[in-house]
Amino acid sequence: MKKTHLAIIIFIAIAVGAIIVTMSDASTYVGFEEAYKTPGTKYTVIGYLDKEAPMHYDARTQRFEFTAIDKEGKRQKVVYNQPKPQDFERSEEVTMKGYASDSGFIAEEILMKCPSKYNEQNEIAGYGTYTE
Amino acid sequence: MEYIGEHILPGQLGRFFVSLALVGALISALGYGLAFRKKEYLHLARASFWAHALAVLGIVGTLFYLLLSHYFEYDYVWKHSSTELPLRYVFSAFWEGQEGSFILWMFWNAVLGLILMRTAKHLESGVMSVFAAVQAFLSSMILGSYLGGIKIGSSPFVLMRQTADNFGLPWTQVPDYLNKFPAFMDGTGLNPLLQNYWMTIHPPTLFLGFASTLPVFAFAMAALFSKDFKGWVKAALPWAFFSVGILGLGILMGGAWAYEALSFGGFWAWDPVENSSLVPWITMVGAAHLLLIYRNRQTGLSSAFFLALISFLLVLYSTFLTRSGVLGDTSVHSFVDLGLSGQLLIYLLFFVLIAFGAFFYRMRQFPKEKGDDNLSSREFWIFIGSLVLLVSAFQIIFTTSIPVFNQLIGKEGLVPMLDKDIAPPIEIIKHYNGWQVPFALIITLLIGFGQFLNYRKTDAARFWRSISFSAILALILTVLVAQLYDFWKEVLYLILLFTSIFAVISNLDYWLRLRKGSWQFSGSSIAHLGFGLIMAGALISNAKKKVISNTNVFLSEDLPSSENALLELGDTTRLGSYMAIWHQMREGENRKQFYDVSYYSPQPNGLLQKEFDLEPFLQMSDNMGPTPNPSTKHYWHKDLYTHVTYSSYLEPASPDGYGKEMEVRMNRGDTAIYRDHFVIMDSLKVNATANKETGQLKSVRLEAELSIVNVLGETYTANPVYFLEDDVVSYEDYYLDQQKFKFRLEDIDTETGQIVLKAYQELGEQKPFIVMKAIVFPLINLLWLGCILMVVGSFIAVVQRFKKA
Repeated sequence: MKKTHLAIIIFIAIAVGAIIVTMSDASTYVGFEEAYKTPGTKYTVIGYLDKEAPMHYDARTQRFEFTAIDKEGKRQKVVYNQPKPQDFERSEEVTMKGYASDSGFIAEEILMKCPSKYNEQNEIAGYGTYTE
Repeated sequence: MEYIGEHILPGQLGRFFVSLALVGALISALGYGLAFRKKEYLHLARASFWAHALAVLGIVGTLFYLLLSHYFEYDYVWKHSSTELPLRYVFSAFWEGQEGSFILWMFWNAVLGLILMRTAKHLESGVMSVFAAVQAFLSSMILGSYLGGIKIGSSPFVLMRQTADNFGLPWTQVPDYLNKFPAFMDGTGLNPLLQNYWMTIHPPTLFLGFASTLPVFAFAMAALFSKDFKGWVKAALPWAFFSVGILGLGILMGGAWAYEALSFGGFWAWDPVENSSLVPWITMVGAAHLLLIYRNRQTGLSSAFFLALISFLLVLYSTFLTRSGVLGDTSVHSFVDLGLSGQLLIYLLFFVLIAFGAFFYRMRQFPKEKGDDNLSSREFWIFIGSLVLLVSAFQIIFTTSIPVFNQLIGKEGLVPMLDKDIAPPIEIIKHYNGWQVPFALIITLLIGFGQFLNYRKTDAARFWRSISFSAILALILTVLVAQLYDFWKEVLYLILLFTSIFAVISNLDYWLRLRKGSWQFSGSSIAHLGFGLIMAGALISNAKKKVISNTNVFLSEDLPSSENALLELGDTTRLGSYMAIWHQMREGENRKQFYDVSYYSPQPNGLLQKEFDLEPFLQMSDNMGPTPNPSTKHYWHKDLYTHVTYSSYLEPASPDGYGKEMEVRMNRGDTAIYRDHFVIMDSLKVNATANKETGQLKSVRLEAELSIVNVLGETYTANPVYFLEDDVVSYEDYYLDQQKFKFRLEDIDTETGQIVLKAYQELGEQKPFIVMKAIVFPLINLLWLGCILMVVGSFIAVVQRFKKA
């Protein structure tokens, strides 16, 4: 067998390894209930901000607390130990990476989806309530 | 109906140019296809490609004309510019939208196509038919017409009243809507985040980079069509190096932009959008090297074909990923889905099928290659290097594609095979680094010794003799750097540090000592040593970056300490070895809030000596809220990077000194929590009086009885009152002095019987403060120097290859 063929086979093996490891590294999107079954294990939860519940940001300790509702409808206090993301109130969807604990769901990373500017422009274009 | 004040003509002209571009490209593709058999079609094909190219120029000109004339009746102009927009940002406005960036891409493809039409010689028909087909697809992306109810493309020449969002709204029936409604008198403007010079230079470079993958792809396709499996290599080589240089430059500019002007806290974050432009570059580097071996040694043809084809296909895939909205949950870059994902998918699949179809069909006819490669030959190790690049690219694109897998086989996917959607790895940076560090290690090692190998066979003794000098020097330098920056505990990083330094030294040594600084060998040496510097710079600045705004305050066991420091106005705060003072907030032009922070170093006599000033700012915008923009102090050996993450100026002020508002709806017996107190709604007293004559309600007085319980269980009562008389509402707020609370009975929901209660707390004399993050990046300048050298080296190689071709 040619050496190059051997090399190709080795690299295909590495590529397959990459798939397997990625799959085991990869988590699944879960709800808070699932996350609370194994506190301390990291998960990604997608939910949205509960705008009815109070939000609390203490800049001095940099502890930001809010309540999120996951896709299954479960409410959960979330603690984010970083400055409050700008414009958090306006977020439509919040992706939280973190783990469950007694003091709440500890989010280490937060990604939010804001309403796109196009939607807002539609509101402006809705000037159209004008009648002759 | 006649609309007043609209400028219809330029838009119609623009649409005409788009149609002409599409038709020209289609005829040209057909003509070139026929020219394979009959040479007389060549004239038609060339003429129609020229027509296409001129039409593209016409599209560009028309869109610029619309933007410069501020014709806000056009949706694209209204969405991406405004009358206040400085003239220098008109380019940014041009390509801010998806339509504009498609036009930019088409423009570069047309330019490259015209060059190839003259230079591709006997491969012209094959190359140009691919070019024309690609351009036809791209033209259709900005067509903006409906065919059987299906939207084809999105046109930048649509009037606002004709867009799907606005169609049929009442204002579209007003003939003089442009003069009647203030909303149409000015555009919404360019996103202020994009109003900087990066937005002017980065997209054209990156799109030229995307376009540059096409010549290599087209040459490979032409070779497969015409069965000329050898001739294309020489012609494609300079283009492959051109692509490596320009696409590399585009990607690195993106990194520099992120580092200089965005608040990601670094130049590379493995974001899906970054990844999807990096991957075609990696495969193009592999393709360029495989073409080089084939040119010199006539081996590895099928791999060269494969990588040359896949680089362009990966550009298409990356376009699909970033523009179809599929990345939604995983990327910080937000993209608007224009509803073109189906069309993009067809575009992608068309070229994937044609390319791989032709490749596998012709593979059996490839010339037989002689014997096995010698282990001591340069071609063997270049081949190994290309394989490593391919696997590295595969790993990145595989993880990046997780959202695509969800669309295909996820819970709500096309063929639901999984009961849950897959999420990308939680520690995403660790995941990528875990794979890419070993790959980088192999690549830098190969770069280090590859130049010292000969084609065919290398004499072992001579090889070790010539390489030992740089190996020893690199080892000494590695020990020094490792000692200085403490690399001893991370073995993998330590090895990568050595291989990167080795790559730099050995290429310098090879060029200056062995090749006596000859011009002919400068391209590859400079590019390779540049890559070594990039790796060394990326490794040191990333692995040894230090957050100096760390507070070391732990709130509880399970929480990491905060990486952000709080600076009160005028107070001195320790940040690493510096003392920092925040002096003032200034309102700058274009809705910027500057926060002037000065850094001092403490002197032995107890005084502070000023080192430098930084001015990070918050960019206010309607669309995205306040966005932090960093400010960085550059030294030759380190950078100090700062951005403001929060500021007390962002908190809503309240005229009576009360803030921290909470609104809650309650029924009798409900409990809410406000600032560590239970708020219980006990009862609601209602007093209503009626007008005796009419029997109508004259006044309503509502009084809520609330119990406020603190953490010790002590109970207070609060009785806020809502009073309505003759349609005038007044409130009697209830104040709790000890807690500094204020309660207001805001309203009552007559349907549910719930009260709407608002709670406030007195803010008191609050000193303004900012929360900011400061990071030291050591030796990051190695990275930038390496970038420049790699690009310069690639372009020298282009020039040399063009001379040889």
